[in-house]
Amino acid sequence: MSRLEIEQIDGVPIARVYEDIDAANAAVVRQQLDEALGPDALSLVVDLSATRYVDSAGIDMLLRLNDRLDHRRAKLILVIPEASQLKRLIAIVGLPEAITIHSSLENALREKAKSQAR
Amino acid sequence: MSESRGDHLLSITDSALGYMSLEDMLSELLERIRDSLEVDTAAVLLLDEDRGVLVARAARGLEEEVRQGVQVPLARGFAGRVAAEARPIIIDLDHADVVNPILRQKGIRSMLGVPLHVEGRVIGVMHIGTLVKRDFDEDDVTLLQLAADRAALAIDNARISEQRAVTAIMQRTLLPDALPEIPGMRFSAKYLPAGSGIKIGGDWYDVFQLATGDLAFVIGDVVGRGVLAASVMAEIRTALRAYMVQGHELAEVVSMLNELLASMDRSRGATLSILKLDPEAEELEAVIAGHLPPLLIEPGGQTQLLEQRPGLPVGVSTGHDYEAFRHSFPTGSGLLLYTDGLIERRNESIDAGLRRLEDAASAAAHRSDSTLADSVYRALLDETPLEDDVALLAIESVPLEGRLEMTLPARPNVLGGLRKTIGRWLQAAGAGEDELFDITLSASEAAANAIEHAYGAREATFTIYCDRHDRQVTIVVRDTGRWRTARPPGGGRGLEIMRSLLDDVQVASNDEGTVVTMTKKLSSQA
Repeated sequence: MSRLEIEQIDGVPIARVYEDIDAANAAVVRQQLDEALGPDALSLVVDLSATRYVDSAGIDMLLRLNDRLDHRRAKLILVIPEASQLKRLIAIVGLPEAITIHSSLENALREKAKSQAR
Repeated sequence: MSESRGDHLLSITDSALGYMSLEDMLSELLERIRDSLEVDTAAVLLLDEDRGVLVARAARGLEEEVRQGVQVPLARGFAGRVAAEARPIIIDLDHADVVNPILRQKGIRSMLGVPLHVEGRVIGVMHIGTLVKRDFDEDDVTLLQLAADRAALAIDNARISEQRAVTAIMQRTLLPDALPEIPGMRFSAKYLPAGSGIKIGGDWYDVFQLATGDLAFVIGDVVGRGVLAASVMAEIRTALRAYMVQGHELAEVVSMLNELLASMDRSRGATLSILKLDPEAEELEAVIAGHLPPLLIEPGGQTQLLEQRPGLPVGVSTGHDYEAFRHSFPTGSGLLLYTDGLIERRNESIDAGLRRLEDAASAAAHRSDSTLADSVYRALLDETPLEDDVALLAIESVPLEGRLEMTLPARPNVLGGLRKTIGRWLQAAGAGEDELFDITLSASEAAANAIEHAYGAREATFTIYCDRHDRQVTIVVRDTGRWRTARPPGGGRGLEIMRSLLDDVQVASNDEGTVVTMTKKLSSQA
């Protein structure tokens, strides 16, 4: 399926999203992210570089996912490029206060490697 | 004596035709045959021509044949020989070869079988049997044949009625869906299966919108004609929709369909073209599987056949790939998808037919007195009697100007299309990237709320109006859901987002429903 692709890099599940996340599919995307996470993973990277619109249902879904990962002492990381419209949007709803945002996948993985090295 | 036997026997087929089911009539007839001819068993088997076997349809004294679905291959065994040789046969089971184990189990000793004829074709066999040895005479044969002839007629009539009923239902369900109404797009089509009285065939077209807002177009042609081709066509049409809705790439969709057809016994080959249009990005993606090239009509009226990357037809072989290609589709463009019945003429090359199509398309584009499909069809075929099925789908992208008004079903899967249409409208209005995003997302939020307010009520709709005066954009979303202080999706965050992105948001709700009015002034760029 082309709308969401899962990959493992250095033991970290990466979910690349290729569609909008809105009231129509937020629940389905949530399920797919849950599957990508599995029972053991300590972090999940959701790459929204190719995503154009995320509505309040999508934001709500990400925040709840973040809460759940928190309880497992796991970390949710979002990749949102600097130039993306989503960057402005998430600032409005205060998302960066709750979830780690990186501007590229490379940055996210580098940060992960650094924190693991500590 | 034989006359009175005959009268009683044969009277049943006359009266029964009116009110009995075929099964009951045959049962009653076989019972009377048992009486009149003083035999122990009587049965009717009908021929399944496709598979070349006789299938027991009704029996008296031999109900097991029917219950167990006994099948006798043509030309094998007793019944098979009667059908294959199309003549009465008498056998003595002690010395004969029978396929059907039930006959022996029953202890039948003698049998007489006659063919059921309709218009010179054998459609089945009627046979009678006795548990004690019996020498059937000419009278027996004549009487049984007469009964069989009457039964054959009744069976044929019943089959025709049944096929008509099935066809009528199939026709209704297999006809193409109504063309969607989408602002900024114009669709027209012609669908004419050849052959009188038959409203379906192997040609088809399909148009549907995906949840992403992209539009899918399909044109196809299954080998063959009539009901059989139409049923394969229906399977292909459904499979394509399913794969597209699941979000697979175009080339993969066609590959998957090819694999599906290869896995089916009675599959047939088909040619098809499938295209996906992003109406906001104004880009077309296409995969062609052995089908005639789609015809692109550029905004200026020039025509271009899209002949890139032609793949093989589907349902014929496996192990090959399909490749998609892209083409821009700016506002003002047109696209024609058609089957060969539209352009093929005897004693004319395909190229000549394609030239005629291009001329017709050029001349027809932008005419306002008839649809594009009608204009092209009339220019090419008009009075010509149809030799082959014709399917034609015409797609035009038209400017989105002035007021935009949409009434949509209150289902979440309309949101993607709504965003693309509003995005396109704002683009035409000269909106910058940021403000286009802000307004589109806000409209989507308001729409999502309206959908939520419908609480899943079937048939519920909501309406959205978009207006622009100078640089001021006003969008109104109106729903008829009852206001309830339930948490909207996103927990109220939707309104917060809208208020941050726009100049003003007003929400007014009462018993009749809710109206959300949003305004934003575009920066003067255009």
